[in-house]
Parts: sequence; C-alpha cells; structure tokens
Amino acid sequence: MASRDQAVALLCAARTHGDVAIKLSSLRQAKDILLSVDPSLAAELFPYLVDLQYSPHNLVRKMLLEIIGEISMKAMEHCHLLVPVLLALLRDSDPIIARDAVASGIHFYCAVLEEMALQFHQRGKVERWLEELWLWMLKFKDSVFSMAFEAGSIGPKLLALKFLETYILLFTADTNDSDNSVVGGSRRLFNISWLGGYHPVLDPVFFMSDANRTLGILLDFLRSPRSLPGSLIIAIVNCLSAIARKRPIHYDIILSALLDFDPNFETAKGVLPVSIQYSLRTAFLGFLRCTSHTIIESRDRLLMALRALNAGDAADQVVRQVDRMIKNGERSSRESRFSTRDDQQSNQPVISMDQSRKRSMPLDTDEQANGHVVSLKRTRYDPSSMATHTDHSEKDSILGNGTAANASLVDGDLTPAEQMIAMIGALLGEGERGAESLEILISNIHPDLLADIVITNMKHLPTTFLSLPKVGSLPISRQLGSQTSPAHVIAPPIIPTQSTSLAPSSHVSTSAQPINILSQADTSNANSFPTDSKRDPRRDPRRLDPRRTMPPAPTSIVDDIGVVESEFDGSSTLSKSSSFSVPTPAENDLDALPLNYTVNVKEEPTPELDQVSTKDEGSCTAEELVHTSESDIVPEHSYSLPDEDNRDALAVSDFEVAYDAETSFVESDEYSSPADSKECVTEETFGDLAELPLYVELDEAQQRNERNTAIERIIESYGKLSDADCGSQMRMALLARLVAQIDADDDVVELLQKHITVDYRQQKGHELVLHILYHLHSLIAVDANGNPSYAAAIYEKFLVAAAKSLLDAFPASDKSFCRLLGEVPLLSTSALKLLENLCYCDVFDSHGNEVRDVERVTQGLGAVWSLILGRPKDRQACLDIALKCAVHSQDDVRAKAIRLVANKLYQLSYISENIEQFATSMLLSAVDQQSSDVELSQSASVAQREGEVGTQEALISGSQVQSVSTMSLPEAQRLLSLFFALCTKKPSLLQLVFDVYGRAPKAVKQAVHRHIPILIRALGPSYSKLLQIISDPPEGCENLLMLVVQILTQETTPSADLIATVKHLYETKLKDATILIPILSSLSKSEVLPIFPRLVGLPIEKFQMAIAHILQGSAHTGPALSPAEVLVAIHVISPDKDGLPLKKIMDACSACFEQRTVFTQQVLAKALNQMVDQTPLPLLFVRTVIQAIDAFPSLVDFVMEILSKLVGREVWKMPKLWVGFLKCVSQTLPHSFSVLLQLPPPQLESALNKYANLRGPLAAYACQPSIKGSVHRSTLAVLGLSDEMHIQPSHVQTLQSSNTASTQAAANLT
Amino acid sequence: MKFRYAMVCSSNQNRSMEAHALLKRNGFDVCSYGTGAHVKLPGPSIREPNIYEFGTPYKHMFEELRRKDPELYKRNGILPMLKRNSAVKLAPQRWQDNAADGSFDVVFSFEEKVFDMVVEDLHNRDHVLLKTVLVINLEVKDNHEEAAAGARLTLDLCQAIEDAAESWEESIDEVIAAFEAKHRRKLLYSISFY
Repeated sequence: MASRDQAVALLCAARTHGDVAIKLSSLRQAKDILLSVDPSLAAELFPYLVDLQYSPHNLVRKMLLEIIGEISMKAMEHCHLLVPVLLALLRDSDPIIARDAVASGIHFYCAVLEEMALQFHQRGKVERWLEELWLWMLKFKDSVFSMAFEAGSIGPKLLALKFLETYILLFTADTNDSDNSVVGGSRRLFNISWLGGYHPVLDPVFFMSDANRTLGILLDFLRSPRSLPGSLIIAIVNCLSAIARKRPIHYDIILSALLDFDPNFETAKGVLPVSIQYSLRTAFLGFLRCTSHTIIESRDRLLMALRALNAGDAADQVVRQVDRMIKNGERSSRESRFSTRDDQQSNQPVISMDQSRKRSMPLDTDEQANGHVVSLKRTRYDPSSMATHTDHSEKDSILGNGTAANASLVDGDLTPAEQMIAMIGALLGEGERGAESLEILISNIHPDLLADIVITNMKHLPTTFLSLPKVGSLPISRQLGSQTSPAHVIAPPIIPTQSTSLAPSSHVSTSAQPINILSQADTSNANSFPTDSKRDPRRDPRRLDPRRTMPPAPTSIVDDIGVVESEFDGSSTLSKSSSFSVPTPAENDLDALPLNYTVNVKEEPTPELDQVSTKDEGSCTAEELVHTSESDIVPEHSYSLPDEDNRDALAVSDFEVAYDAETSFVESDEYSSPADSKECVTEETFGDLAELPLYVELDEAQQRNERNTAIERIIESYGKLSDADCGSQMRMALLARLVAQIDADDDVVELLQKHITVDYRQQKGHELVLHILYHLHSLIAVDANGNPSYAAAIYEKFLVAAAKSLLDAFPASDKSFCRLLGEVPLLSTSALKLLENLCYCDVFDSHGNEVRDVERVTQGLGAVWSLILGRPKDRQACLDIALKCAVHSQDDVRAKAIRLVANKLYQLSYISENIEQFATSMLLSAVDQQSSDVELSQSASVAQREGEVGTQEALISGSQVQSVSTMSLPEAQRLLSLFFALCTKKPSLLQLVFDVYGRAPKAVKQAVHRHIPILIRALGPSYSKLLQIISDPPEGCENLLMLVVQILTQETTPSADLIATVKHLYETKLKDATILIPILSSLSKSEVLPIFPRLVGLPIEKFQMAIAHILQGSAHTGPALSPAEVLVAIHVISPDKDGLPLKKIMDACSACFEQRTVFTQQVLAKALNQMVDQTPLPLLFVRTVIQAIDAFPSLVDFVMEILSKLVGREVWKMPKLWVGFLKCVSQTLPHSFSVLLQLPPPQLESALNKYANLRGPLAAYACQPSIKGSVHRSTLAVLGLSDEMHIQPSHVQTLQSSNTASTQAAANLT
Repeated sequence: MKFRYAMVCSSNQNRSMEAHALLKRNGFDVCSYGTGAHVKLPGPSIREPNIYEFGTPYKHMFEELRRKDPELYKRNGILPMLKRNSAVKLAPQRWQDNAADGSFDVVFSFEEKVFDMVVEDLHNRDHVLLKTVLVINLEVKDNHEEAAAGARLTLDLCQAIEDAAESWEESIDEVIAAFEAKHRRKLLYSISFY
C-alpha cells in the first residue's frame, strides 16, 4: 500500500511539478514502482497515468509512452485504460512520439493476438477483457493503416508500413515455419496458422483475406510512386521483400510487382532513384538467397532483373553460395536420414519430447502420440496439408500413423503448388468472402504455377465414379466449379481406404496401432471436407463444447479429456451431433461412402485397442469402441464425459496437453459419427435432444401463406447474410424450390422481383434468378412425359417477370437483361415476344404518347445479337426480330437494326443467306407490289402513258387502286434500306437493283437514287462489281446508270477502268452520249472531237454540261478543247454529214455565246480567224460573225477584216453566206462602206439592189475626195459617180489611212 | 548528438576506423564494425595477406607486424593505422555479431558489398524493437588518403543529419540530395528496422 501511495505522489508530481526534469525523474520512479507491484495494484494507478497524455512536454509524453509500452505487456488484463492513450498518442504532434506509439502499438497488438490464441487454446474461450482489448486493437489497426496513406511525418509512416508488413506476416499462414504450436513464452511471432481454422473472436479466413488485401495496399503504393518520398518507397520495397521471403505464397505477386516497378522516375523531391533502384537490387538478391522452391524456380527472372540492374556479378555470387548450401544440405541428408528429418522438422520432435517429459507418461507410444498431436494441429492449422496428405500415404504407414500432414512435414517444405492449394482451400472455405481474394490470388498466379496446382489436384480425382450423396448440397456453384477445388472436395472419400489398407503393414503397429487407427480416421476425416467443415464453424454451438473433443490418440485420452473437463463445465450437447446421421458403410462398398461425417476405422480391433478402451472405461463412461466383424460394420468410437473422479485426478495435467486436446477438438464435431452419439448418449445429454416439431396439417391457403412467409423470410435474411457463401447457396436452392411450388402467386413473384433487382448487379440476384430458372427447367424436363405445363407456365411467367423487372429497374445501358436472356436454360416464346416488343413495338406511356426510347431499342438489339451468337436454338427467332426491325417504319430504329444486321449479323455465315433472302424479298416486294399496281392502274385507266408519269397518274385515277398502290418514298426506303446496306458488304447484290430498276415505280426509283450515292461512297474505290454491271447494264436502268457514273466521277478523277467501261458501253450498247458527259473531262481532244456532234445533238442543258466538262478537263491533261476549239468544233459540224438539224447547231452556238465569261471577245476573234480560212466556210460562219458583233461591238474593225477576207474569198459565190454577208454589212454601216467598195461592181450592184438604202450613203462616202480617188471607176460607175472620177495614185494609202481612222473611231466608240 | 552511429567497412581497420576516430573526436556516439569473415591486412604481397580473427586486439596486430617487417608496415601505413586504431578501441568487431551492442540509428558503410551485407543482415534479424535504422553507403576506396577524405565526408553528413530534424526520417531525402550536390558523391541508402 505504501508503494501505491508513493506512486500516486510521484505521478501527481509528474503532472503538476513545474520542472520538466523533476517530472521526468518522478515518472521514472513511478514507472519502477508500477512495474514492480502486482498488476492489479498497478491498474489502480492507471488513471493517474492517463492524465499525463495531455502534458505539453514531449519528454513527458514520451516517457508515458514508454511506461505504457512496458506495463501493458505486463498487466495486459488491466490496461484497457491505457490503450486509448496509446491510440491518442498515435496522433501526437511530435513525430517521434507518434512513431514510438506505433511501435508500442505493434508490440501490444501482437501480444494481444497471441494472448487471444493462447487463451482460447488453453481455456477454450477468450476472456471478456481480452475481447475488449482486441476491439481497441482493431481501432489501432485502422488508425495505423490510415496513417500509412495520410500526409504526415515520414517517421510514423515508416512504422505504419512496418505494421502493414507485420500484419501480412501475422495473417498469412506460415507454411515454412514448422513451429506453429503455441508454446507459452516462445518469442515467436504469432501466426494465423496457430488458430487452426477456428477462433471465437478471430476469424482466420477473414484475416487471411484481409492480409491479402493489405498486401494489395502495399503493392498499390508502388503503382503511384511519384507522390512518395524516396525513403518511403525504399521502405515499401523492403517490406515487400521481407513478406515475399517469409511468406512464399505471396512471392509471385510481389516479384512481378517489383519487376514491373520502374524506379527511374523523379520523386516529388527530385532525388534518389539510385537508392530506390538499389533497394530493388537488394530485394532481388535477398530472394536469390532464399532456398524456398518458389523462389528458386524464379531464379532466371531474378538473374535477368539483376543483370538489368548491373548486379549480375553479385547475383552470380549469391547463386553460387546458395547452390553450395543446397549441396551441403543434400550431402548431410544422405549421411543421416533421421538427422535430416530432425533438422527439417526443427523443433517438432523437441516439443514432443518436451511434452512427454512434462506429462511423465512413460508409454513408449507417447512421443509418437505427441508428435502426432502436433501434426494434427498442423493438419488443422496449415491448410496446405489438405492438399498434400494423400500424397504421402506411404510414408504415413512408415511413420506409424495416418497423419499425412506429419509425413509432409518430414518431407520438408511444401512445394509452391501445394502452398497455393492450401491457400485456395482456405479461401474457398470462406465462401463468398474469400471469393474476392481468391480471384485476386488466382489472377496473380503464374501460369506455370497454376498448371502445377491443377495437376497436383488431379491426384485427388476419384479413380472410380462415386455417387456422392452430399454433392447436391455442396456449393458447387458455377464459379466454384471452374476452379480446382471441387475435385479436392470430392476426393477425400478415397483416403480412408488408402490409409487403411496401408496401416496394417506399418511396422510400428506393435506399439502404436490403436493410435494409427484413430488418428488415421481423424486426419482423413478432418481433411475430407475442408470446405464443409470450415464453412460456418461459428454457428455450430457444438464447436464450443470441448467435451466433444476427440483426443488424437487413446493414450492421451485419459488426461486430455480430464483436463478439458476440468476446465469446462456446461451441459453437453453431444446429442445434437445426431443430425449428422450417416450410414456406416461396409468396407468394400466404396460407392456408398458418404463424403462426410463418418469415422471409418476399418481395422480389425487389436488387442491393444481393446485394452485401451477397457482401460479408459473408467474415465470415459460413454466411450466405446464398437467393433463388429471387419467386413460389415465400421467401428465407431466416441468420447464423452469422463467421470468426475477421473477428471479431478487428471486436472493436474499441464496446459500443453490441454491445448493438444483443444486443438484436436477443432476437428471433433466434424467426425463425430452419429452412431457414436447414439450409442454413447448418456441420460443427461439425452434431454438436450431437439424435439421433433409437431406435424400440423395445413389447408391450402395456409400452405400458400406459409410458403410466402418462408420466401419473405429467406429473402430478408438473404440481404443480411449475403456474404456467407453456403447460406446463399442454400437460400437459392430453397427459393428455387419454393418458387416452383407456388402456383402463380403474383405477390411472391413481385417480392422476388424486387429483391432480385435490388442486388442484381452484385451478381446475387442474377445467380438467384438463374438458379430458380434452372430448377424450374429441370422440373420441366422431368415432367416431360407427365404434365409439363405447370412448371413450364411458372418458368415462363417467372422468366418474363424477371426480365421485365430488369428492364424497368435498370437503364438501357445495363447489360443485365441481355445477360439474363443469354444464360437462362430456355428462352420461352413469351420471352422472345418481350424481346421483340422491346425492339419493335411502340411503347406508349400512360397518356398514350409514344415513348419509344431508342436506347431501349439498342438494348433489345444488343440482346438479340448476343442471343444469335450464343443461342443457336433461338437464332432464327432472334434473327426474325432483327430483320423485322430492319424494315421498321421509324428511321432511327431501322437504322440501328440495319447496322446490326449488315455490320454484324451478315458476317455470320450461318445466317447471311437468310438475311440476304429477306432483304431481296423486301426489295422485290417494293418493286413488284408497285409494278403490279401500276399494271392494275394502267389497265384501269386505259394505258395512255408510260413510265413514271404513268404511275403518278395512275395514283390519281381510280380510288380503289390508289388505296393499294400508294407507295410513298419513305415506304420504299423502308423496304430498300436493308438491301442497300447489304450491298455495301456484298456489291454483287447491286445487280439486282439494276435489274429491277427499270420496272420499279417512281418512289422506289427515288429511293434508289437516294441510296446509290451513299452506297457508292461506302463502296469506295472497290467498285469492280459495279463496273461489271455498267459494262453490261440491263435494260431500263439508263437513268440509274447515268447517276452511278455521275457519282463515280464526282469529286474524284474517274479511273481508267471506268472510262474504258463507259466508252465501251457507249460504243456498243448505249448510244446515248449523256453517259459520256461525266467522263468528258478525262478524255483527250482526239477522243472528244469524234463524239462532239453527238454532244451537240443532246438537249441543250446536257450539252452545256458536256461543254463544261470538256472545258474543265482533268487535272493531269488540262481541258480537251479550248473554248475557241469548241466553237470551231461546233461550226465544223455538217448537218448533212452528221445528221444533225442545223437548229441544234445554232442552239449550241447560242449556248456558247451565252457564256460570255468563257467565250470572250478574244475567244471569238480567235475562232473566227481560224474559221475564215477554212474551206469550205462553215455554214454558220457569217451568222456567228453577226452574233459576235452584236455581242461585242468593239470587234467591229476585226469584223471588217473578216468581211474583207470574205470578199477576197468571193463570198457571193456561196449564196447562204452571201445573204448573211450583206446583212452583216448593212448592220455595220458606216464601217462597212470600205468593204462594200471592195466588192466587184456586179456584186456591188446586186447588193445595192438588195439594200437600196445603202446606195445614197455609200455614194456620199465615195464622194469624199480622199476616198474617191481610190475607188475603182467601174465601182463609181455603179454608184453613179463616174463623171467625177479620176484616178489617184495613192488610193491604197488613203484606204489605209481611212482604215486607221475608222479604227480610231471604233476605239473611241468602245 | 541525438543518434547512435555505426561505421562499417570490410575489416574494421581503415575506412570505418578512420571515420570512427573522427566522429568520436567530434563527440558522436559511434561504433565501428567489419563485415568480412576475417580481418585482412596487406602483407608482403597480394597473395600473402595478414589474416586475423575479429576480436584480435589492434595492439596485438601492431606488435606482430612490427616484429615481422617494421619497415614494410611502416611504409605502407599499416602500423600507424593500427596504432591509431588501438587508441580508438580495443579490437576489430564483426557487424554480424554485434546484436549485443544495441541498436543504431544510422549505419554507414563504405563499400557496396558491405552495404549489401549490412542490409541483408539487418533484414534477417528479428525486428523486435521496431526501431528504424538508416543505412547509408558512401563509396570510399580502401587506402589511407581516401579513407581520411571519406571520414571527413562522413562527419559532414552526420552533422547534416543531426542538424536537419528531430528524427532523420523526415529529412533524409533532402539531406542526401544536398550532400550529393555539395560533394558530387553518390550515396546509397536503405531503411531497415531493429
């Protein structure tokens, strides 16, 4: 008490004294006292300590932390007050204190964990205070984890990373370490494998998968290293390397992460990639030093990586060292097999020895028994043994018992494949929760390793087919089925036989046969249903009952049971185990072997065994080893309540023995055979038998009601417990059966629907629906010859309801609907109808408005597509839907459907023909329906028209015809779109378009015209098929042909093939020059000139187009003809020779003159100049001259020259031209006087006769003195001026000067 | 001086002892070790080194070598070095056997191979204390001149580490970067735990 008061005083001083030094020294003294007194006494002082956390002095807080760290280890039971302080100090402003708090916390965490394991193993339960502490530890874990992410000081973060590492190491089964027995006082770190699969507070599977997640966290750090300081990255690499070396299961994942990690980045602070790189190097070298199988296998990769890091030499050196080490190991193993075994088993024999010594049981089987116990524990702890135990049956027998795990231990390390299998097994056992981790795990497994795993597991495949009654309830869901585990689960039934057959031959049978038998049964059974047994251990109350313990060997039964009993009281619930009633199979009847819950000790009872049982009789009242003849009945054994006396007498056994018992009891309820319990049920336990429920007769309504309630309850619980795998499987099966029983009860279906959609996307709903549907489907199949209608009706209804609810619940982008239809066992007609409606029918909302959601159509079509691909049986039906949509009246729907059909479905060889047929028939129906209508109308309204015009008129005439034959353009397009879409994929289909074009009605033609440009554009340059059609077009398709050629030549230079084809066509079949227009620009002069008259012969607008093309020319060759040449070409056409009416030629000329920008003054002048020299003169020459002077008056002087030339060419001899000449002259007065005067007198005379009004002005002109002299006398005579006439020598000159003058005048005019 | 330092080279004779001596003079809490299997000192030729077990006192080596060939060992600086060493501590110590010496905050190595061994050794120890330790490698050639220069650099870096922050974790990246920039020497570092 005095020390207490002293401590209180010191702690008060530490809190209140002003001097830090005194505070600290007081604290130090207080600490000594606290550590020296009894923990419970110390606990009274804790409140004083707690206050110190608020001290402003860092040193005080640091000291406090130290005290807490030490004292919490010593007085764990009392330190619930201190742990919150520890947690608070994690957030201390001083990084050093925060860091130390993490460190203390990690220590404490491990200690609590260890204590929990120990406590449970020793006493079968965990004290309340410890559970509370554990809750604090969970908080600690969360804060430290978050510390690793948060921004903050690096020091605490490093420790937080260390905690992550520790956490992973703690909760990843340590397969290397054979010392995983819980031996008090051992400094070994706790490992999850201590728990052996079950702990009331710690769920091993949860923590194992949590460890995997944590590893993921660590690995994630490496993915975004930029944000981290270099020191953290180095620490992370080091942590990962440590994990990989200590837990080879994670090695592959970590190695690939490290190999992928590129340290050559600039850190945030811009430094130190060298050290980071070096940390990788160190990690890889560290891996090389390991002798674990997994790591040695990856040696090449490591060496490569190290060479890349310039560490090849160091790597080689390490490899040499390791090889030498391995060789040495092998040599020593050769020298002494047993010593090797000892070495490799490390401390296992030591423990056995230790235990046997403590128990002072001089039985010669003792050591073996204990060794066996340890191995048993291992069997439970270490899931890996599940995978390996069958492989070692031979060694088992040598060792004298059936514990394969023991043998595998002797064998040394497990192979990586076996470790992996162990891991997978553990995760599988966890069910749904494990699935995620499992997926991650499997996705990370190296393919080689995966193959190994599968091969290793194949050993477990049954050699003969076993009809397994339990299979039905095994969770062989589809996901699980794809993994290797089922084989593993199914395999065990063989094991007992194997080991049994071997057991008798074992050489140690003399001493340990009973043990063999029993342990053999233990292990084999314990291993035979890892999945089942682990599935939900906590819900089984029997688990907690230590009396259900089956001690591993009879030799230890006495004390084990005794101890257990001494520590636990409470009513036995043994009787409940009768629920596992299992037939006891005859030895040879392997097929009838149930998978679970049977202890098959097929062994002739040995004398020892009998002795043992008799010896045990006193202690185990109910224990019986019932042996009947070897051949027919399997002996069962059971252990039950020992006598009070014995219990007391044996209570002195040390805890390790107790622990043994406890560890083994973990398996116990799994193999307690029902027969046991029946035989050994004592009176007191009998009372605990669950009473059978009363049988109540229900009327139909009640039944239905019950069913509905049941479903509701299942669904409700479903939500809460959805993470438990077995539960959900069971629930699904139940629901499926219940649904099958319900006759059209809408409520339930609705309820289910709601439930399904709620978590559909989390797979659950989907799985449930499929489960139900498959169940119903199987009912249909079973009922096939009975009354299939009932199940079928429910099936149909449920499917449609589910599908509808999916549609209602999820947006169109959701894939659930598609997936459902794709995976259901059978697509009913109503489901197809639903799909069709989704795609095709208009949807109306409550107001009657159309609410078609195009997205929905897309969804529907998507479903259709996937169904066509995935369900051959429903292919035709789905194709029909798609095709129907492809001629939908609504453009967007049709477009979507056509895209699907043409782009996706048409590629599928098995339906392309159908599609083609359908499209063709649509095209033909469009064409023929209309053309038959046309015929009808024509006959009705007395054929007086033809072609398209006729159609229109036909539509107007006769009302009854109109009603049938109305084919609008949209309608035609509706029917044609699909076909054209197909044409882009298969151009040869175009032939049909050309074929039917001629007889197609106008709307169809228009539709074709609209589609053709798109089609040709889509075809691109690969229109060879089109050329083929062009070269030999069917009749009636000229317009289409023109259009096609026109489109083909638009924008691009036509290809040589096209030109040749078109030319050929023009020369052979089609005489219409229109076809040539589009290609004119690509033709040369010599090609154009021969066809020029044909062009002139075209309607004027086409001619203009042709001219435009000709003048445009191609980029390469330039225009075929210049404008002047065009004019000349027009003029040289001879109406007689070329068979063209003169009118056409004149029109052509006029057309040219209209284009004054092209046919300019200069062009005209040039053309006229050329033509005036031609012989014969073109017929229209003078006419053109007149037109030219009309169009361009400034040409007058040039025209005068032309006229003079005409005079020179004796134009009067060409009557048609002469008229024109005179007309021109008369129009161009007064400029033409000089020309007139050049005419010979007779011609002048006749001219003046024709144009009498010329005479006066001409005479006046000639009278001018300057002119008169130059004019010929006879001419003057014609003019009546001969009297005054006298010749002037310089008349030529004068003429010239007058010419100049007139030119000037003309210039002035312009 | 907040931290505890360890200087490690191969034989705990030249580089680590040079740094040990200098740091000790400057008031640092410092120890020194070698990671080799034995203590090796140059002999009359390359093939004839003088080999001692760790734990052999420097004085003993000094006496022995002086007996063998005082001229040679004086000339190549071995004797002065041993004399200096014996003034610093009794005998060379092996890093791998230093668990009893407690934990260090900062460990310096002067050769990559040594760095590797230190890091690997720390890695293989049980991390019971959960105390971080910084391991730094400063490449120093194994001769007297370089060792002296290396020791000065080490002192400089140690002072920088001491001055930078209350705990080296917060500042190590900057300190190292600054050192590299200042002295144009590359450093390697790693972080381990006790």
